[in-house]
Amino acid sequence: MKKYVLIACLFLWPFTQIYAQQVKGGVFEMIGGESNPLIGANVVQLKTLNGTTTDAEGHFNLNLERKAPQKLVVSYVSYQTDTINLNETGYGHVHITLNKLKDLDEVEVVSRKSGSHSLRTETRGITSINEGELQKAACCNLSESFENSASVDVSYADAVTGAKQIQLLGLAGLYTQMLTENIPNLRGLAVPYRLGYVPGTWMESIQVSKGTSSVVNGYEAMAGQINIEYKKPDEKDKFFLNLYGSQMGKVEGNLNIRFKLNEKWSTAILAHAEYFGIKHDNNDDSFLDDPLIEQLNLFNRWKYKGDNLRMQFGIQYLKENRKGGQMDFNPEEPHDAENGYGVGVKTDRYLGFLKIGYILRNRANSSIGFQNQVVYHDVISFYGLNNYNANQFSYYGNLMFQSYINDTRHQYTTGVSFALDDYNQQLNDTTWIRNEHVSGAFFQYTYSNYKSLNLIAGVRLDYNNLFGWLFTPRLHAKYNINEHNMLRLSLGRGFRTANVIAENTSILATSKQIVFTKELNIESSWNFGLTYTAYIDIGVKELSITTDFFHTRFNNQVIMDREENPFIVYIYNLDGKSYSNSIQVEAQYEPVNRFELKLAFRYNDVKTTIGGELKEKPFVSKYIGLLSASYQTNLKKWQFDLNVQVNGDQRLPYTGFNPEPYQRPERSPVYAILNTQITKYFKRWDVYIGGENLTNYRQDHPILQANEPFGDYFDSSIVWGPISGIKVYLGIRFTIRK
Amino acid sequence: MKLKLGIIIAILCMAIMQVNAQEIKTTIDTVKIQTSAKCNDCKERLEHNISFEKGVKSVELDNETKILTVVYKTAKTNEEKIKIAITKVGYDADEMPADQKAHDRLPACCQKDADPH
Repeated sequence: MKKYVLIACLFLWPFTQIYAQQVKGGVFEMIGGESNPLIGANVVQLKTLNGTTTDAEGHFNLNLERKAPQKLVVSYVSYQTDTINLNETGYGHVHITLNKLKDLDEVEVVSRKSGSHSLRTETRGITSINEGELQKAACCNLSESFENSASVDVSYADAVTGAKQIQLLGLAGLYTQMLTENIPNLRGLAVPYRLGYVPGTWMESIQVSKGTSSVVNGYEAMAGQINIEYKKPDEKDKFFLNLYGSQMGKVEGNLNIRFKLNEKWSTAILAHAEYFGIKHDNNDDSFLDDPLIEQLNLFNRWKYKGDNLRMQFGIQYLKENRKGGQMDFNPEEPHDAENGYGVGVKTDRYLGFLKIGYILRNRANSSIGFQNQVVYHDVISFYGLNNYNANQFSYYGNLMFQSYINDTRHQYTTGVSFALDDYNQQLNDTTWIRNEHVSGAFFQYTYSNYKSLNLIAGVRLDYNNLFGWLFTPRLHAKYNINEHNMLRLSLGRGFRTANVIAENTSILATSKQIVFTKELNIESSWNFGLTYTAYIDIGVKELSITTDFFHTRFNNQVIMDREENPFIVYIYNLDGKSYSNSIQVEAQYEPVNRFELKLAFRYNDVKTTIGGELKEKPFVSKYIGLLSASYQTNLKKWQFDLNVQVNGDQRLPYTGFNPEPYQRPERSPVYAILNTQITKYFKRWDVYIGGENLTNYRQDHPILQANEPFGDYFDSSIVWGPISGIKVYLGIRFTIRK
Repeated sequence: MKLKLGIIIAILCMAIMQVNAQEIKTTIDTVKIQTSAKCNDCKERLEHNISFEKGVKSVELDNETKILTVVYKTAKTNEEKIKIAITKVGYDADEMPADQKAHDRLPACCQKDADPH
């Protein structure tokens, strides 16, 4: 008897599942009073991943989940997304008409999204940091924007310039391609101080992706890609002012003004000024803990939005002056041993860009885009007795065509690009001139089947005048196992030309000499990544857990070997293995309404062959732990943010060949950093107060032979932790909304 | 260091509990008001401004019907005050017409004679 019941249950069970409503219908657009089918439109049940795409007649057929809302979200690129309530329309023949979007950029924000969230529908694993998140660390610039990001680490490069560097997958920031609005930027000479060139309040959002990226942007993304979106001229607030001051004496002001001239033209002026003029030496090593900084950064951008033609252009100017070194060094007097050790970096940077987009009228989802950018970067600097002067002229052009094959599930982007870099560098008596130009063509195919598989496969072929032909294949895939589990895979190749001096200015602030033992080749690597994301319903909220593994293997890498000889840094091509393995687990949950919690842990295994021996790469934390908590009161009147980061031990460069007082331990200690911020929102004003490094953790004696900076063993580059202690700041924001 | 961290967390927790405790006692009422809102910008503008009115606990504009649902503390405000606040942002509130000056300051797409979009 029991058997029959069981069999009956087994037979009936699928029916109870199927009993869930089925809905049939079509998606159309109106052209001159006639309704035309839309092929490949996405039809998804609200709040689920249960969805389908329309066929060649625009028809669809979908089995609904019972538990989820009986509503459909219908979307199609360049059309306005519509939500259909099936209780009103019925389930039989749902006729849906979508309206063409007037503006491709139009994005509708539905509800409060957590500050940093992974984008569910993206094929590549992309974490987006939005404006709300950026405001959690009110201070300053790009370097503070990653405080709550588990994937990106920020560290100091040396103890005298205040320069900060990012790390992704345990690999130096150089291997991460930086884009501003999808154009490669902040390259070459800009690298040492680039995080300071992007003011926090200019940014609308940041997208971080690990692994090799799209081939559309060139071959450079080896470990990952960071794209910065600035505030647009025609969106959001008309006027924005931010004033900031810290107890150390740093002051900063930001002003954003946006005008809409008419329906088609709009413009924005973004301005930033910062000043830090008070000398501090809390660790009594006669050196400034933080360099003095003056910066002016101005950006004017324009946007034209026609029916089919879109255009954006703008110009940016940046001037920065950094002064560091010993407390009593006087930059006006001759830079010699008598005057003391000084550091000065003067930067002028000019940038102009032009983007043109044309949407084809007679073919849906098809457009032509043309991106152009010119940059001139000039730096005049000295580090003690080392003088380093350099300039760079770069042009980047990328012409793209985007369309689809058969229906819009099969899309492609293809195009040609040209990049030119002219470098002129002078270090003391040596001059390097490098003229590099790269011409390339690419093709990228995107398959999107909303329900299960999404694929981006791209190839590009470039000709580099210095290194010949370079072939870059890349593949990204996302598979939805079901609506709660998804798997992402990425595989690809990347290349990069090293700029040894500009990328290692920290070596200039040592007594060491740089010696090139061989002609350097282009750096090249393969990267493989696997990401598994699970969404687990707990109560009404969803817990998301993302686990990823990334492996990067270098075929060639420029090695900086400082472990052979105390007085010389050798630069040569990799001879042997070099790899990085990085495993990360990140969990996000909202246990109470408006209280968000994030917990992440990452383990890094990064090894390189230095001097014939496979060694752990210096300055990479063995592991990183991150806890971040954020609470917003009802109607966003108050916000409280807290984050703790635990940095595991790092291998430090070998110093055993130095006399005893100038030796350092083999590994750095484990330490934690605590940051917090409280924001009070008023109708037009926000007031924020916060603290960084609240436990006042500092690295002792960051500089070797600080008492004799012109001695043989002087070295300010062995920095693994914060040099200045607790920092408390206060600021106000004033906004006039649109 | 651990102690310091503990104290900071405790203070934060207390602050949160305090806020919640205050909310429970007073009498709460809900009102639905028909507005002349047009678009998503209008929704953001109305919700932001009304949320800073005294006594307002929650505010949401329905995108389809343009009805604004406001939850408020009866001790601190009333339906009329909320409606006046809406008119001052530049929108009609049921029978009350929008403040003309505020209405004219709105972008063209948000004014009453604009096409719904």
